[in-house]
Amino acid sequence: MKCRPSVLMRAAVGAAALFLNAQASAATLLREATVGEPPPLDVMLTTADVASVIGRHIFETLYAWDSTYVPRPMLADSDREEDGGRTIVIKLREDVRFHNGKEMTAKDVVASMTRWGNFGARGKLLMGAATSVEATGKYEVTLKLSAPNGAWKNLVADVNGGLAIYPEEIAANAGNRPIEQKDYIGTGPYKFVEWRPNRHVEVERFDGYKPVKEKGDGFAGARVAFFDKIRFIPVPDVGTRVSGVQAGDYDYAEMISGDLYDSLSKDGSVQVQRTNAPIFGLFFMNSKQGILKDNYKLRRAIQTALDKSQALRVAFGPKDLWSAEGSIYPKGTPWHSMEGVSGYSPHDPKKAKELAKEADYTGTPIRLLVSTNYQAHYDEASVFTRQLADAGINVQMMVVDWATLLKMRGQPEQWDIFVTHHSFSPDPLLFTFLNASYPGWWDSPEINSLRAELIKSSDQTARKATWDKIQSLIYEQVPVMKVGDAYTYDIASPKLKGLNPNGPVFWNVTAK
Amino acid sequence: MSRDAAILWLKPFVARPIALAGLGILLATVFAAAFAPWLSPYDPYAIDPPIRLTPPGLAHWFGTDQFGRDTLSRTIHSARMALLIGSGVVVFALATGVPIGVLSALFPRLGHVLMRMVDVLMAFPTLLLALGLIVILAPSVANAILAIGLGYMTTTTRIVYGLTLRLRAETYVEAARSMGAGTTWLIGRHILPNLISPLLVQASFVFAFAQLGAASLDFLGLGAPPEIPSWGNMLAESRTFITRAPWLLFFPGMMIVATAFSLNLVGDALRDRLDPRFRQVFGEKG
Amino acid sequence: MWSYALKRAGTTAVTLLAASVIIFAFIHVVPGDPIYVLLGDTATPDQIDALRHQLGLDQPIIVQYVSWMGHVLEGDLGRSIFFQAPVLSVIADGAETSILLATMTMIWVAIIGVPIGMIAAVRHGTWLDQGLSGAAMLMASIPTFWVGLYLILIFAAWLGWFPSSGYPSVFEGGAVNLRYLVLPSLALAAPNAALILRLTRASMLDVSREDYVRTARAKGIRPWQVVRRHILRNALLAVVSAFGFTFAALLSEAVVTETVFALPGIGRLVVQSILRRDYPVIQGVILVIVVVYLLINLIVDLSYRLLDPRVELQ
Repeated sequence: MKCRPSVLMRAAVGAAALFLNAQASAATLLREATVGEPPPLDVMLTTADVASVIGRHIFETLYAWDSTYVPRPMLADSDREEDGGRTIVIKLREDVRFHNGKEMTAKDVVASMTRWGNFGARGKLLMGAATSVEATGKYEVTLKLSAPNGAWKNLVADVNGGLAIYPEEIAANAGNRPIEQKDYIGTGPYKFVEWRPNRHVEVERFDGYKPVKEKGDGFAGARVAFFDKIRFIPVPDVGTRVSGVQAGDYDYAEMISGDLYDSLSKDGSVQVQRTNAPIFGLFFMNSKQGILKDNYKLRRAIQTALDKSQALRVAFGPKDLWSAEGSIYPKGTPWHSMEGVSGYSPHDPKKAKELAKEADYTGTPIRLLVSTNYQAHYDEASVFTRQLADAGINVQMMVVDWATLLKMRGQPEQWDIFVTHHSFSPDPLLFTFLNASYPGWWDSPEINSLRAELIKSSDQTARKATWDKIQSLIYEQVPVMKVGDAYTYDIASPKLKGLNPNGPVFWNVTAK
Repeated sequence: MSRDAAILWLKPFVARPIALAGLGILLATVFAAAFAPWLSPYDPYAIDPPIRLTPPGLAHWFGTDQFGRDTLSRTIHSARMALLIGSGVVVFALATGVPIGVLSALFPRLGHVLMRMVDVLMAFPTLLLALGLIVILAPSVANAILAIGLGYMTTTTRIVYGLTLRLRAETYVEAARSMGAGTTWLIGRHILPNLISPLLVQASFVFAFAQLGAASLDFLGLGAPPEIPSWGNMLAESRTFITRAPWLLFFPGMMIVATAFSLNLVGDALRDRLDPRFRQVFGEKG
Repeated sequence: MWSYALKRAGTTAVTLLAASVIIFAFIHVVPGDPIYVLLGDTATPDQIDALRHQLGLDQPIIVQYVSWMGHVLEGDLGRSIFFQAPVLSVIADGAETSILLATMTMIWVAIIGVPIGMIAAVRHGTWLDQGLSGAAMLMASIPTFWVGLYLILIFAAWLGWFPSSGYPSVFEGGAVNLRYLVLPSLALAAPNAALILRLTRASMLDVSREDYVRTARAKGIRPWQVVRRHILRNALLAVVSAFGFTFAALLSEAVVTETVFALPGIGRLVVQSILRRDYPVIQGVILVIVVVYLLINLIVDLSYRLLDPRVELQ
């Protein structure tokens, strides 16, 4: 906003808004309809998307992904690697302010990194191999690793369970308990104002914010807050989110159902915003206990019976929004691979029956754990259950709420398959299924040695070759089945300009 | 039932065409539930994604849903769930409410304790109690019946308690008592027979409200497991299609309304033929 | 009267205590755990145990109950695990929406239910009565969320007369924000108006069978006069107490409507807290609801006694 309206003007606008529709104030307040109430906004600890969407405006990371998911410096200024990648020296940007007015220095980064390494949801991936992290200057942090990590920049480039930089005193005292609301202090372009349960989380422009020089691109580059305030309003019903944007009650709404895509694309009262990176459904097999443990033949029998495109069509609607892609990574990304994809979606009940017979399967019920909190999970599970029945494989769905599922999937005796999804991740090391302690517990000797290979190397060609082998192994041992790529989409008021295809972020967004 | 008795029962319906219509809808629902596999043109579970969200037409009278399943067949099959939940709730409410209510009225000391407990339960918000129970017990048809039934157990107990108190005070019961009649005999001969008509009224209202309660639970994803066809589940699954495929919401919604409405009409007609002594007890929950 | 009031208050307190035990026991047998929801996908067993210890969830349930009760008696309902705020303030925030929504609903109910019920009673047995009673029956048979979805579609998305959903506080935007509650209150009013309509009709008919009304009629007083002077006052006693209970129920049971309209009310707060296992909030809200219900019950009982000495109390 180039010229800010005078106080008098604003008061007049506010008074008018009382009597007219609330749209008059839309120039300064952005109202976003989220899918639900977030967990605490301690983004280091939680991987919930609802929390990251809000948290991205408040907290920042050392690096940030641009629109092609390459990590670019954000709070970091530059870096260098020594000792064959075992020592990483990060130079920080100077004169970056926290919302409490204090300057960010190496001490804050060290404290945040330490907490993230101990308790952060994705902290172990990098910090598991850390031998020390120290402030080696006011603006310099040195991280020492026992083995090089080729993906380290990607691992510190997003707030989702990631290394958000908190002030030292907050990071050092927080432990593993989510930080309190008063400690929601970051360096982002917006600062936390209030959280009213079920009503909204409100953030307002941080006047002390100094953007980086580079132009805004994806999550990277300059972040300019044009709106005075943003309200994240939980609206659980998707129909209500759509009506709300159409009626002008919200400026932006997340996660709209695929079947409305065609009609909303033609609707002049909204603009449609498709994400550029797909999410994909995952069916995890229990590698620790039960009928599917080490039973690679039966797992292949299951995958052979499936027609994934049927499930995708039911769950996501029009063809524009999904793709039955066997490669874990979508086309056009450096990690795209055709290894093993013939096993992705054969839809061959006859062959499935043969495989099941070879695996001595006699019709024992296979327990499929799924939640209705995500409609797509349930849709996919229903279609697959039906297809598997046609191949003589007896699947019993256990439908529970999400909190119960999270607890049950941690107990290996409770389930054989469970359903979840994964968002796009720029480096394979961030995938949950490569984490041996994640439910599913894929821990075969083959994957262990390939995983070590992937971590050690920092040469992209060598890492891609390793990834090809891993994908081939995924289709052989089937620790997890990929459903397919789905492009979610959001809708917004036609007045908004500069929306970000990487995901809902509202810096650099203006109203016409 | 003798012919005279049958005429007596039908009288309130004949006098009121609208109540007769209610009875008709109800019988049609029972018929649909009983002969669902023969009446439905398709397998209600058969998915066919290529024809998903087809509008109503000759092949699919009520259209198809997001899985490509036939909405008419699902609507017909859902009648089974509606009757199962409704009768389950009624049976539960009566099986618990009648003994507790009668015994409480006949034995004041025991009654004092039991009715206090009912009071405690009454103080809990019914729907929240049901939701909590379902989360504990995991969603299933039986648990939905239990959860909804618990709410009506309390009201039924109170009604039975009130009625029995009145009956006990009736002179002939007092007379039988003073002549040394046993409690069993008293209950079997004087109390229960007189409770039948008012309980029939209560049953039809409970049946009606159980339909709405079950629909709410289904809508929140805590009712019958989603793969089972029920009108509430059909609404819950299709509520995002209200603009894209409005028929998905229209037909099951209308069926809930029709069933609950006809049960209410029947209950109302039965109540009007009740002995005026008992009618008052139902004043509040009409 | 006073001794009765005291006795009645005593039993209310006992009921409350029993209820608190039930609430607590009930909640802690729910499977699932706030820790998993809180820490998300990738928490390790060590992290889970450590946090459970910090929140005191690893203590025996009796210890947890006693400590909770102790704080409750001091007026402290604890802190929400998820909102990281005092439970009391979380409830207060939701209560604004719920109270206003229930009030607006009851206004519709009074406007629709009572007069039409009176008309039906006065025209007892006619086609008009049957038509009105039938219409009431129909209204009581419609699922509120179903009506709600159509109300949003027609009056918000198509016509744009009312906001579709949400509710910004009146303390921020002024009374004009009440328009956010118009559609949801209408959806909720339909079944409740039907019940009040039927109750009004029934109790007016009951009263009109009383001897003094017959006498008045016999004296040749005009029918509407009889209604106004003799029937109405007595009949409305039952209606007013039903208002109390309906209002109490609306505070907590509008869950489905609140979900459809994305209202920050009490009902949705509880359901969401149940789904996330936010124990302190569930316990606190249900306790408050039970207290409100028991208080209304007490007030209704006592006022009956005051207004109508014929009412026999056991």
